[in-house]
Amino acid sequence: MVEPVPLNWEEVARVYGRKIYNFAYRLTGNPADSADLVQEVLLRVRKGLESYQPGSFDGWLWRITRNAFLDEVRRKKRRPQISLPDEVDRWDIAASPSADIEYDRLSIGDDIQKALLELPIEFREAVVLCDVVGLSYEEIAAATAVPIGTVRSRIHRGRKQLRDVLS
Amino acid sequence: MRHAGDTISAYLDGELRPEEVHRLLEHLASCGRCSAEMTALQGVRSSVRSLPMIELPRGTLPEAEVTPIPLRRNRGFIAAVAAAVVAAVIGIAALVTPPPESISVEDLNSRFGARLSLDPAFGPAKVLVPETVELQR
Repeated sequence: MVEPVPLNWEEVARVYGRKIYNFAYRLTGNPADSADLVQEVLLRVRKGLESYQPGSFDGWLWRITRNAFLDEVRRKKRRPQISLPDEVDRWDIAASPSADIEYDRLSIGDDIQKALLELPIEFREAVVLCDVVGLSYEEIAAATAVPIGTVRSRIHRGRKQLRDVLS
Repeated sequence: MRHAGDTISAYLDGELRPEEVHRLLEHLASCGRCSAEMTALQGVRSSVRSLPMIELPRGTLPEAEVTPIPLRRNRGFIAAVAAAVVAAVIGIAALVTPPPESISVEDLNSRFGARLSLDPAFGPAKVLVPETVELQR
């Protein structure tokens, strides 16, 4: 099935920006890195749309997203930076008018977020693409370039580890 | 005996073929360990799925406006409540207010005329009402 493709990158930003941000946020737990990733993905989408071949748009977009994410992780490993502690990000948020509401929203699921960060990246990525982004196994397989059986096994093992960490 | 393994997660995600579902449910009926795992993983899955969607920080998308969807949902709810309250008030008013008798053109003319005589600024210069029209309730 060919899905309707957003015509331009602004539309991609409008429709997918928040999802891309949440994907990155759940993988890293870091708001600033996640916002950077959204911008990097949209740059790549803008370039890529010119040569886009009709097919699974979600598969295409999420492949770009996770590749951008992995590149970012590799870059950070090469050039280790002093990362800001969590509290600083929270202060940033506290400067905005809806600070209390947003803080409450962020602290719901803090334990689950911490547990996610303990998973090996392959499992974390598969679980987040499935349960946060809402992709099918087939779309996850396309995005992560592994067979569907591997997706299924990663999601299952990821969830079992989450269960062990959370219990 | 072979345990259910990752077919449990695939089942929860609706990713099993009907015959695989059948086989899994048959196995769960006789395997306490896999049933317990199913329950636990169902809980884990819904916890992750219920993580709040976080809004993009302002300025992440310099050229594109992003509509915050949850606010919309709240607005819809408030609008629905407001509409329900208005509807209820109208309903009660309709019940409490006695239905008017049929009003004739003469009645209207006399009411309008009374107001006109007291308040020169009220009303248009001339009211055109066809004489045969009778307003029914």
